[in-house]
Amino acid sequence: MKLRTILLPITVATVMAISAGFAWSQEFKPSKQIEAVVHTGPGGGSDLLARAIAELLQKEKLIPQRMQVVNKPGGGPAVAMSYLAEKKGETHTIGFFTGVWVTNPLTTAEATVTVKDLTPIVRLVLEPAVIAVKADSPYKNMKDFIDAAKKNPKQLAQSGGSITSRDNLMRLLIQKATGTQWNFISFPSGGERLSNLLGGHVQLMVIEPQEAGEQIRAGNLRVIAALTEKRLAALPNVPTIKEQGIDVPLIPQARGVLAPPAAPREVVQYWEGVFERFEKTASWKQYLEQNQFEDGYLKGPPLSKFLDDLTVQMREVLKEAGAKVVR
Amino acid sequence: MEAFDNLLLGFSVALTPINLFWCLVGVILGTVVGVLPGLGPAATIAMLLPLTLKMDHTTAIIALAGIFYGARYGGSTTSILLNIPGESSSVVTCLDGYQMARQGRAGAALGISAIASFVAGTVGVLGLMLIAPPLARFALRFAPPEYFALMVLGLAMVVFLAGDSMVKALLAMLVGLWLATIGTDLFTAESRFTFGQVKLLGGVDFIAATVGIFAIGEVLVNLESQGGAEIFKLSRGLRNLLPTLQDLKDCRFAFLNGSVIGFFIGALPGAGATVASFLSYGLEKAVSRHPEKFGTGVIEGVAAPEGANNADAGGALVPLLTLGIPGGNTTAILLGGLILWGYKPGPLLIQEHPQLFWGLVASMYIGNVLLLVLNLPLVPLFAQILRLPYYVLYPLIFGISIVGVYSVNNSLFDVWMMGLFGLLGYLMRKLDFPAAALILGMVLGDGLERALRQSLMMSQGDITILATRPISGTLLLIAVTILCLPAIRKVRSWRVEAVEREG
Repeated sequence: MKLRTILLPITVATVMAISAGFAWSQEFKPSKQIEAVVHTGPGGGSDLLARAIAELLQKEKLIPQRMQVVNKPGGGPAVAMSYLAEKKGETHTIGFFTGVWVTNPLTTAEATVTVKDLTPIVRLVLEPAVIAVKADSPYKNMKDFIDAAKKNPKQLAQSGGSITSRDNLMRLLIQKATGTQWNFISFPSGGERLSNLLGGHVQLMVIEPQEAGEQIRAGNLRVIAALTEKRLAALPNVPTIKEQGIDVPLIPQARGVLAPPAAPREVVQYWEGVFERFEKTASWKQYLEQNQFEDGYLKGPPLSKFLDDLTVQMREVLKEAGAKVVR
Repeated sequence: MEAFDNLLLGFSVALTPINLFWCLVGVILGTVVGVLPGLGPAATIAMLLPLTLKMDHTTAIIALAGIFYGARYGGSTTSILLNIPGESSSVVTCLDGYQMARQGRAGAALGISAIASFVAGTVGVLGLMLIAPPLARFALRFAPPEYFALMVLGLAMVVFLAGDSMVKALLAMLVGLWLATIGTDLFTAESRFTFGQVKLLGGVDFIAATVGIFAIGEVLVNLESQGGAEIFKLSRGLRNLLPTLQDLKDCRFAFLNGSVIGFFIGALPGAGATVASFLSYGLEKAVSRHPEKFGTGVIEGVAAPEGANNADAGGALVPLLTLGIPGGNTTAILLGGLILWGYKPGPLLIQEHPQLFWGLVASMYIGNVLLLVLNLPLVPLFAQILRLPYYVLYPLIFGISIVGVYSVNNSLFDVWMMGLFGLLGYLMRKLDFPAAALILGMVLGDGLERALRQSLMMSQGDITILATRPISGTLLLIAVTILCLPAIRKVRSWRVEAVEREG
C-alpha cells in the first residue's frame, strides 16, 4: 500500500520531467509555407528586399519550406504591423521591418501596434544615405550649400518623403546645427524626388548611394556629404557630414525581421539560427555590396536596445519637427 | 540612321526562337492578367521575378515587359462586356464600351479596342525608339506646377462628362475629390477621414471603388427591372462582330489622340495611365462632331482611351530606361528586376547594354503584333459571354468582382468597401449623377492636391507660380478655355435666338 502511494506520484513526476525535457529540447522547424509580411506593395523597397532574401534563403537551402512575400500596404506600416500582430501564436509568419515601423506609430493615433509589441528577431541591413546635388550646381560641399542657404533663407528646397521621413529629420537636425533654413517638398516616390532634383526644381536631396550611383556615373549628380560615421567604400572622396564640421546625430535606416507578439522561444531561436547562418553566406555579402548596404547584423538584447533607443531618439526628433506625437 | 541600325540589332536579338517564345508567353499572361479584375501586372511581375533569375536577362525583360503592356490590351475586355474595369486604366472604356455592348455592338467595341491598342502601342514603341532621351529631358522640366496644371486640365474634362446636368457632374466630381483625401496626408503625416480605421490609412482602394460603382452598381440597378432571359442583343454573323470600315474611319483621330497623349503622359513619372485615358477621352469628345453622344456608346469613346493606356506603357518605359526613374508601380518592379539581375539602371544603361534596350524595343513591336493577332479572333468568342441569361451573368459579375477586389490586397475590408460603393453607384444611377465624374475626381484628386501643395512649397506660398511658368500657364489657359466652353456655347445660342427673333 505504502509503496504504491509513493510510486504513483514518483512515476507521474518522472514522466512529466521527461516529457518536459522533451518539450524543452523540442526544436521548431517550419512544416508549411512561410509568410513574410511587408508594408509596401509589389516593387517597393521592402518588397524587393524581402523577395531577394526569400530567394537567397531558398537558394542556400537555409529554410526547408518556401517563403512567400505577402504585401500588406496601407498607412505606411500600420496595416502590415496590425496584420503581424493578429498572427500571434502563428509560427510560420515573419515580418520585414524598416525604420518607419518604429516612427510611424509615434505619430499615427489609429495605429494599434508598436514595434515593442512584436518580437525582434534580427537586424540585417543599415542603409546609409548621402546628400546629393545636381552636378552643375554651384555647391561643391556642405559649406557651399549652407552659405547659400544662409544668404537666401527659405529659398532653397530639398525633395524628400513625408515630414516624418529620415530625409526631413536629417534636414531639421542640420538646420538646427547650422542655424539655416531651407524648404522641404514631399514627393511620394523616389523617382519623382530624383526627377525634380535633376530638373533643377529643388537643390538638394537625401538619397541612398545605390540610387545615386548611376546618376553620378552619368555625370548628373554630385554627392557632397555622406550621412555615415565613416566614409563609404564606394565614395571614398566624399567626406562625411561630421568631417565637414556639422555634428548631428545620424538617423539610421535599419531593415530586419520581426515575429508576431510573444513568439515562442523555439521559434525565435530557429529564426535567429537561420539568419546567423544567412549573414555569413557569400550571396548575402554580394547582395549587400551590389546594393551598397551596410551589414547591420544584430540580434538578441542589443537589438531590443537598438529599437528602444531608436524609438526614444525618433520621438525627440519628431517633436522638434513639429509632428504631432501621440505616443 | 543610327536608330535603324540599332533596331536591326534589336530584331536580331528579338527574333531568336527563345525570345519569341517568351515574348509570346509574356503577352498571353499579360492579357489574362489584364482581363481579370483585381490581379494586376505589378503583382504578377513581382511574383515571377524569382523565376527570371535563371533566364537570360534580355529574355527576362522581354517576357516581363510583355506582361506589362499585354495587360493594357486585356483590361478592356471585362470593361466592355461586364462593366467591370479590368485595370484601373480601363475605367474610361466602361463608359462607352459597355453601352456599345448593350446595343449589340460588343464585337465592334472589343475589336476597335484591340486595333487602337495595337496602333497606339506601336506608336509608343516608335516613340521609345526615336525620341526617348530628348523626351525624358523634356519631362524633367515638369515640376509640381506643371503637374497641377495637367490635373486641372483633366478635371476640366468633367465638362465633357456632364451629360445633362453640369451641377450634378460637378457635385459628383467634388465627392470624388473628397474621397481622394481619405488616408494619410503625405506632407503632415496626419490621418484624414479615416474614422479610426487602420485599413483606411492608405486611402480608399481604387479598384474596390471603381468595381463597386460600375459593376456592383450596374447589377443592383438591373435587379430592379424585370428583364427577359437575354438582356443584351448580339448581332449574328462574323461581320457584325468586328468593327466595320466606317468604324475604322471614324476612329482616325482617336488613334492619333490616344497614341500621342498616352505616350506623353506615360513619360511623366507619377502621372499614370488612368490620367492618360481620361485626358484622351476628353479630348476626343471635345473635337467630335457629336459630343453629346459620348457616354451612349460611341466607338471613338472606346478607341481613344484604350489607345492611350497602351501608348502609356511605351511612355512609362522612357524614364525607366533613359534615367533609371520608375514612373509607376509596375515600372518600379521592372526596375527592381533589372537591379536583381545585376544591372544598374540609369542614364548609361542604353549605351552600355544596347542589346538589352534594342532587343526589348524590337520585341515590343513583335509583341504588339502578337497581341493583335491573339485578341482579334478572340473577340467573337468573348462576345458570346453576353448570350448568357441574366440570372447567370449577374451572379458571374458579382463573383468576379468580389474575388477580383479581394485579390488586390487579400483584404476583406476592401470587399466591404466595394459593397458600399456599389450602393453608392446604385444611388447615383437612380438619381442620374454621372459616375464617371466621381471617378475622375478620385483619380485626379490625389495628384491635384499634392501638386498644388508642392507648388506652393516651392514658391513660398505664392500662387502666381502656377501661371507664370510657361508650361503650366499654357495648360491652365487651355483648361480655363475648356471650362468656359459651355458658357460660350450658351452665349452663342442666345445670340442665334436673338437674331432669329428679330429676323
